[in-house]
Amino acid sequence: MSKKSLLSLLLTAALGAGILTGCQGTASPSPTPASSAGKDSVVIAMDTNSEPAAGFDPAFGWGAGEHVHEPLIQSTLTVTKPDLTIGYDLATGYSVSDDGLTWTVTIRDDARFTDGEALTAEDVAFTYNTVKESSSVNDFTMLDRAEAVDETTVAFHMNTPFSIWPYTMAVVGIVPEHAYDSATYGQNPIGSGRYVLKQWDKGQQIILEANPDYYGEAPTIRRFTILFLEEDAAFLAVQAGQVDLAYTSATYSDQSVAGYSLTAYRTVDNRGFNLPAVPAGTDAQGQAIGNDFTSDVLVRRAINIGIDREEMIENVLNGYGTPAYSVCDQLPWYNPASQVEYDPEAAAALLDEAGWTLGSDGIRERDGVKAELHLLYPSSDSVRQALCADFAQQLQELGISTSIEGVGWDTAYDRAQSEPLIWGWGAHTPMELYNIYHTSADTGLAGYSPYANAAVDSYMDQALQCTDLETSYELWQKAQWDGSTGVTQEGDTPWVWLVNVDHLYWVREGLQVAEQKIHPHGHGWSIVNNVDQWSWS
Amino acid sequence: MSRWNQRKRTLALLGCAALLLCAVTVAGLLFQPLAMETDFANKQLAPGPGHWFGTDWMGRDMLARTLTGLSLSIRIGLLTAVVSALLSVLLGVTAALGRRADAVISWCIDLFLGIPHILLVMLISLAFGRGFVGVVAGVSLSHWPSLARVIRGEVLQLRQTTYVRAAERLGVPRGRIIRRHMLPHLLPQFLTGLILQFPHAILHEASVTFLGFGLSPEQPAIGVILSESMRYLTTGKWWLALFPGLSLVLVVLLFAALGEGVRRLLHPASAHQ
Repeated sequence: MSKKSLLSLLLTAALGAGILTGCQGTASPSPTPASSAGKDSVVIAMDTNSEPAAGFDPAFGWGAGEHVHEPLIQSTLTVTKPDLTIGYDLATGYSVSDDGLTWTVTIRDDARFTDGEALTAEDVAFTYNTVKESSSVNDFTMLDRAEAVDETTVAFHMNTPFSIWPYTMAVVGIVPEHAYDSATYGQNPIGSGRYVLKQWDKGQQIILEANPDYYGEAPTIRRFTILFLEEDAAFLAVQAGQVDLAYTSATYSDQSVAGYSLTAYRTVDNRGFNLPAVPAGTDAQGQAIGNDFTSDVLVRRAINIGIDREEMIENVLNGYGTPAYSVCDQLPWYNPASQVEYDPEAAAALLDEAGWTLGSDGIRERDGVKAELHLLYPSSDSVRQALCADFAQQLQELGISTSIEGVGWDTAYDRAQSEPLIWGWGAHTPMELYNIYHTSADTGLAGYSPYANAAVDSYMDQALQCTDLETSYELWQKAQWDGSTGVTQEGDTPWVWLVNVDHLYWVREGLQVAEQKIHPHGHGWSIVNNVDQWSWS
Repeated sequence: MSRWNQRKRTLALLGCAALLLCAVTVAGLLFQPLAMETDFANKQLAPGPGHWFGTDWMGRDMLARTLTGLSLSIRIGLLTAVVSALLSVLLGVTAALGRRADAVISWCIDLFLGIPHILLVMLISLAFGRGFVGVVAGVSLSHWPSLARVIRGEVLQLRQTTYVRAAERLGVPRGRIIRRHMLPHLLPQFLTGLILQFPHAILHEASVTFLGFGLSPEQPAIGVILSESMRYLTTGKWWLALFPGLSLVLVVLLFAALGEGVRRLLHPASAHQ
């Protein structure tokens, strides 16, 4: 046998060995602590993307950004309650001026940082002025500056009224002015929250211990360890009994492990397609924008009711999900008018009405043009790939010819301007509605998918300007559907929402996980928001 | 069978291998629609009568996917092997004919051989925007150096042979010498090199796609199939990796046998055994 064929054999063997060892390679974060030894500690497996790359600095995305969660190590002014209304952490009360431009927040006087210094309004003002300067993940353009009025009162001077400021205050962890250095704080955070960072082995684990000086109720879980594992390694760790709670996905939901139960938490971690609502063309930079097929509102409505969401949940998520009708299902600002029934006949009728009639090959046509859609999904996400494939198949049944393509995030944003892409959203702030549906001043179209409706814009502008949260919820709801226009089925339907993906965990028997807030997008730190209230039985 | 001499046996083997590879290629083309078809009612089925290779997480038939993947691999292999073999002949001959060209090309060969193959394939594939074009460009632009070096050596040797020197003295133009006297001599090396390029190309296509730098995940390519199967190995879905992996090895072995056979037939020392 020649050298070349020998070499090719060797390469094959190497490839095979790679496959065999691939699942083992990540499974060995060696210093795994003895699990569930005490009744007040817990070991949790999270996915490797959840490890905060920039450390535990709120200015660099800890707790905030795309995947919001409570910062644990730091305190926040407000918190979101299980029903996603606003509660207090450091704050004892807040008020807003009639013009909406000044927020005054009073804070408790007994909070101390773990280095012994008292937490004052100065620290709060410093934190907000710092994140405004340097936050790369959150938008703070509405804030002009924060100012400490006295020891326990802080005033936020705004550039524009921003009624949902309390939701922003719920994600910003307060850092100490006297001990903050943006270069090192992320690795050695000092806060006033429920836990203290004890140890961080990068790429492996994080250990947090209860803060003995915490001003609130003392945590029942005194110590928790987070291991960062790939999905298959997390499952192996469960099988080996090394962790008390581990994230998992529908892929593993047909498995069972002795001593563990599979627990699903409701989420607003939704998946949906954008349907470009303007005809095909190019924008000022010459980039393709719009789609002739989906620019017809009848087509978008037909797609919205022609999709069987329940079937999709059964098929792709093994039943672990709920139908999604908006980007904010079940949240206080959700408008129930978004909900639609699956009705293939009505969908077909809508397509007929739009002039797309069934051809002999089962594909609809209008004026000799075939009904075609090219659907995109992020190539790194297998669940979205399967949802995309199922969506494509269901559209075929409606008589729309479909093809799918995996794309990287480097090109996905641009391509979604003209072709439907499957997105994942879901946050604990109504700002997400604004980001998705509000037009931007320079293009006159919404940012992620071309769409514009002046009435929807106006409701959201009003919602941000009003001074009362309750009233703003109503306005956010009206932005979705006000009885005559909006983004729902009877309205413009510029996005079709498919499913909310349940977050699945293997939970060791005996571990009582406290009641969870509806989880936002991101299968990571949300689960430990209230780890201080978990217990063993 | 015993009455056949080795030459005949080699020829028969060659025929069989070529036929099998063609069959796989054609079958893959025919199965393409089936390979993309999802059927969520029948997902994760173990191998059985309806689905010989089982089905995957979207209920796609693994036999169809494997065949389509191999077919795609063979076609990519064909394209890249031809491109890189032509490239190597061109560069090898150029290098052997001029001293300055030789310095430049030898330096290039050393440079390309010095970079790990898979890294080079990934880089070129990325630069060409991934997908089919990226993979073909990546594999074909990285596989020419070793054959180019062989051909260069051969041409250097040929230049010293008496008949070439005689032709030179007689004033035969250089182009004619290359066409008439050199290229026919290079044919065995070229053909063997071309065919032995196949397994390389196929394996590299599979690896680069496996690593996520090649074809998009909805394409039924062997690399995609294998990397998807990894997620299910821990849950005991062995058939997702086993059959496609074995088939890949089989195809690679067939090509290796084909190349070996061609070498035996064309090489003067063994041609008449």
